[in-house]
Amino acid sequence: MRNRASNTLSKGKIRQSWSKYNLYNLQRFRSPGTAHRTFFQQKWTAKALSRAYHGEQVREGQWKRMFSKRIRSVVPMNTADLAADDGSEMAAGRGSGLNKDVKSPSMPRLVPYTNMAFAPLERRLDVAIFRALFASSARQARQFVIHGAVTVNGQKMRHPSYLLNPGDLFQVDPDRVMFATGAPKTKFERRETRQLKSKAAAEAEEAEVEADAEAEKSESAEKKENTKETLKALMAQAKTIMSKDKDVLAAKRKQELRGFQKAVRRVLSRSSTSTILTDSLEAQFSELTLMLNAKKAEKKPKENKKKSKEQTEAAEESEVAAASEESEVQASDKLSEAFQNASEGKNVDTSELSEEEFETLRRALTQMRDNPIDSSKPYATPWRPRDYMSAFAFIPRYLEVNQNICAAVYLRHPVARPGSAEVPTPFGETIATPAYGWYLRRRW
Amino acid sequence: MAPRIQTGRVSNTILPYLSSSSSSSSSFSPLCPSSQSLSRQFSATAASQTKLRRQMFEWLNTEGAAYKHHIPNETNYLKGPRDFEGGPAKPFPNNKNFISESVLSEDLRNKVYELVVHQKKSIRAVSVQLGIDMRRVGAVVRLVELERRQQAQGKPMAKPYARAVHEMIPVTQLADPNERQTYHEPINDLPAHPTTGAQIFYPVPESRSFTRVDAGRVFSAAPAVEHSRKDELAHPSDLADIVFEKPGSIEWVGKGDNARQVLQPADVRIPHPQLVQLDRDRAAFPTERRAVGERHAQRLERQEKNEEKLREKARSLREDSIKHVEPEGGRFDFRIKEAVFSEQTVGQDGRAPWAPGRRYGVPTNDRKRGTVKIPTRVEA
Repeated sequence: MRNRASNTLSKGKIRQSWSKYNLYNLQRFRSPGTAHRTFFQQKWTAKALSRAYHGEQVREGQWKRMFSKRIRSVVPMNTADLAADDGSEMAAGRGSGLNKDVKSPSMPRLVPYTNMAFAPLERRLDVAIFRALFASSARQARQFVIHGAVTVNGQKMRHPSYLLNPGDLFQVDPDRVMFATGAPKTKFERRETRQLKSKAAAEAEEAEVEADAEAEKSESAEKKENTKETLKALMAQAKTIMSKDKDVLAAKRKQELRGFQKAVRRVLSRSSTSTILTDSLEAQFSELTLMLNAKKAEKKPKENKKKSKEQTEAAEESEVAAASEESEVQASDKLSEAFQNASEGKNVDTSELSEEEFETLRRALTQMRDNPIDSSKPYATPWRPRDYMSAFAFIPRYLEVNQNICAAVYLRHPVARPGSAEVPTPFGETIATPAYGWYLRRRW
Repeated sequence: MAPRIQTGRVSNTILPYLSSSSSSSSSFSPLCPSSQSLSRQFSATAASQTKLRRQMFEWLNTEGAAYKHHIPNETNYLKGPRDFEGGPAKPFPNNKNFISESVLSEDLRNKVYELVVHQKKSIRAVSVQLGIDMRRVGAVVRLVELERRQQAQGKPMAKPYARAVHEMIPVTQLADPNERQTYHEPINDLPAHPTTGAQIFYPVPESRSFTRVDAGRVFSAAPAVEHSRKDELAHPSDLADIVFEKPGSIEWVGKGDNARQVLQPADVRIPHPQLVQLDRDRAAFPTERRAVGERHAQRLERQEKNEEKLREKARSLREDSIKHVEPEGGRFDFRIKEAVFSEQTVGQDGRAPWAPGRRYGVPTNDRKRGTVKIPTRVEA
């Protein structure tokens, strides 16, 4: 289906999309006035506006068949109130209780029924994927489904209009989700990717030619390779990655990060256990420090270690390799110094690392594993959320989402309750009610 | 479509956290509109930006700049003109009825999994303990199970994405061990039954006590309960016990297609009816906390046993109706169901679309024009 739903500024329609155009339209949107307009006109406008947002990818006839005038709602019950009486007091007298003042709540909150007019559309697979924050627009979600990146209950589902049943588990390919929600590559990064690709292709060709000749040599050469060299490279790179120096350009820092990644892998691959590369981060970390003959200062109590872990996590969370702090620059200097000393064999005193230094190394490793620089990915790496995502980020209650594996369960159909409706709609009551009214009448 | 704007208008968005360099950004600094118009003084070509686009980028560079990047652990939704600080987060400034609800934190999810899978607590008990809907508890267990399996298989995960999302939206955190857990959501939601939509004028003598049970009967047009039976029920919540013991004991009204069960009072229909009984016990015996607690535990246990029995019964019924045939040396397990030819199963003429077997001359449903081929359910 061709996408006719553009985010035009002249029409100013609101779409299910995270684009900045949409944000601007959303921000400047005002409900149309009702003065000098017939009721039909009001309903028509309301319908047109809300349909531009709700299921614009669904044909009008299809939606009209889905529409149901019955709206699901719930009332949260207070068990203490239920336990207090059997309801006969409320029915006493003329049917509304004998003494009105005692029980009547001050302001009964209304149930916004008409905001739920488009609830049946929320059952659609493509809309649910968008609501679970797995795609940046409903159109993109639809494309993911059609391209076979979505499974429902473990089976591939290629119909975006599949109506989820309560309890259905749908899962999107995490790589697609990272692409949809991550910042796009800049043109420099795209060029870099192209260059790396062509380079890799050329190397592969060369390797094929030389493979036979070098097959025997390589093993022995690798063993003899000086550990000192690799360690030196490692230190230098770790220093650049973690340095907050403003003069270091982004590209340079990235190159270093990539080199660091390679170096760590090389060091680890030399260890006695071959599984260490796939093991947990902790194992990798301890192995690395062991290989580098680095020792932690023993004066520090164990509490500090825990603290540093928390800090690491906090650092991970903020995804920051930048926020400049002078102490960290010093820490990384010390770290590289320690590495230097370790590589030179003076591992007794000088290779003692402080908590901060350990933290720096650990953070470099964590980022390397969780959020690596990988030019083969279709999004900017290391991953960061795309611009303006936060203004659209919410997850309705009828979904339970696990972001780690990009899977979600459709728990139940959306419901209205006093004071709130679960169908996410940017329109208030002044548009929702006439739109609901439009579909109440059968016109076809 | 790539934005049709001069590069000078774009602020430095290239890796804002990797290159915090102020020196490089100075070359990208946005041109002010006045200088732009100056450069076009003698040009006959139309400006590449319309007024609307200019306004949009103006907004994006001033007010809108706040929405570009999120602040960790804070929501960053559009602020309407009349919005005030505090209160629930509302993503749409025009819709005050939509609230961005909180999601479970990773710790809380793991806690739920721990309680259900390792400590073998019932879903009902976990739901009450942590204030999470029972369906959500089940879903969380499923998802965490899936996550661990995928982790063991070494499948790719979206860790940085998950962290970013949890920074952007409100999150219900797991309470410290010695603190009280904040409830994630209301767990005793009573769904509004369609039959209660009608407004009914039902005259009742003042001398008669008209309870929730009676109201349910009126809504479903069932005859009033006799006085003798009414006295057996001290409180509508006593019905919950009876219904749990024997779900078949609920009366039916109407005939044929109109047959429906009598609407039960809210005390029975809420997800946790045992909590009403607990509250009643507490009110009746305010001093005997331990005895009340024990009674509640017993009730829960009885209820769980009942549920398990019913589940077992349904399973055995299903199994009995299916005959398993496994040919020797074969790879298959044939499950053969006895075909029952009755009006319900094959229709009046024996050729209903849902009837078993092929019918001569009638194309199967997936070959027919105009029928929807999109699956309506996927078996888990």
